Amino acid sequence: MGLIARNIEAVGVPTVTISLAKALTVAVGVPRAVFVHWPLGHPLGERQHPLQQRTMIFAALQLLLAAKQAGLMAEPGYRWRRETYTEPDWAQLKASVRGISS
Amino acid sequence: MTKNLTLRERLSQQFFAIPAVAELWAKRAAKRTNQMVDLTGDIPFSPLRKPLAECRVALLTTAGIHLRSQTPYDMENPDGDPTYREIPTNVALDQIMITHKYYDHTDADADLNVVFPLLHFRDLVEKQVIGSLAPRHFGFMGHIDQALISVLNQQTAPEVAAKLRADQVDFALLTPA
Repeated sequence: MGLIARNIEAVGVPTVTISLAKALTVAVGVPRAVFVHWPLGHPLGERQHPLQQRTMIFAALQLLLAAKQAGLMAEPGYRWRRETYTEPDWAQLKASVRGISS
Repeated sequence: MTKNLTLRERLSQQFFAIPAVAELWAKRAAKRTNQMVDLTGDIPFSPLRKPLAECRVALLTTAGIHLRSQTPYDMENPDGDPTYREIPTNVALDQIMITHKYYDHTDADADLNVVFPLLHFRDLVEKQVIGSLAPRHFGFMGHIDQALISVLNQQTAPEVAAKLRADQVDFALLTPA
């Protein structure tokens, strides 16, 4: 996954990657990653749990907007099956206009 | 297809589903990747150039998704399969299936959003959080090893990167499995 992200980024397309394997993500050098300590096969969380899935998407988009350098890893720290999720405040992302980086 | 796995494959999946075990596996995989690919030098980085509401997004996953009409990934080669499948953005979700025996995809089979959040992104476009979806998304199979790591890194991944450029994609979300 990390190698794919690097190849895409190298041609000028920004990427954000969800990671379930921190050591691999760090070693490969992924441009932007959101790491969660969850079981393999569940990058967005549990099945039929749209609020959890959308929260992960929100975390990824937030990192995409915030990252100003390569190799950043966000760790929101969500525990597996022990969190209560609500609908993310998408308007926050709309308000955040990065524009062309200086 | 999870139901066709041997007992050994099933046990192995359950073992690797434990996050601490997966982390050990990740350390070994990192070492092997380092042996196959030169990772010295800077991590590539491209800044986001537009507000999200104007961005065109593509989804990529290594969860082993492909269309039912496409050739499944190679499950026989122990080093995996570095090829990819194009997923049209307007696909009906029931046309997508998963071929991957190295993780337990029972949950992803039941709810594809667990690995490939296309439905959520359709909704985010509707809500104007995101500008639009790319005309195609890309499925890979994870678990690529040995010489095939180089094939991925030098051939198939650059090919997909070029297709994303051609589709004028503003950013890509990548999900593993």
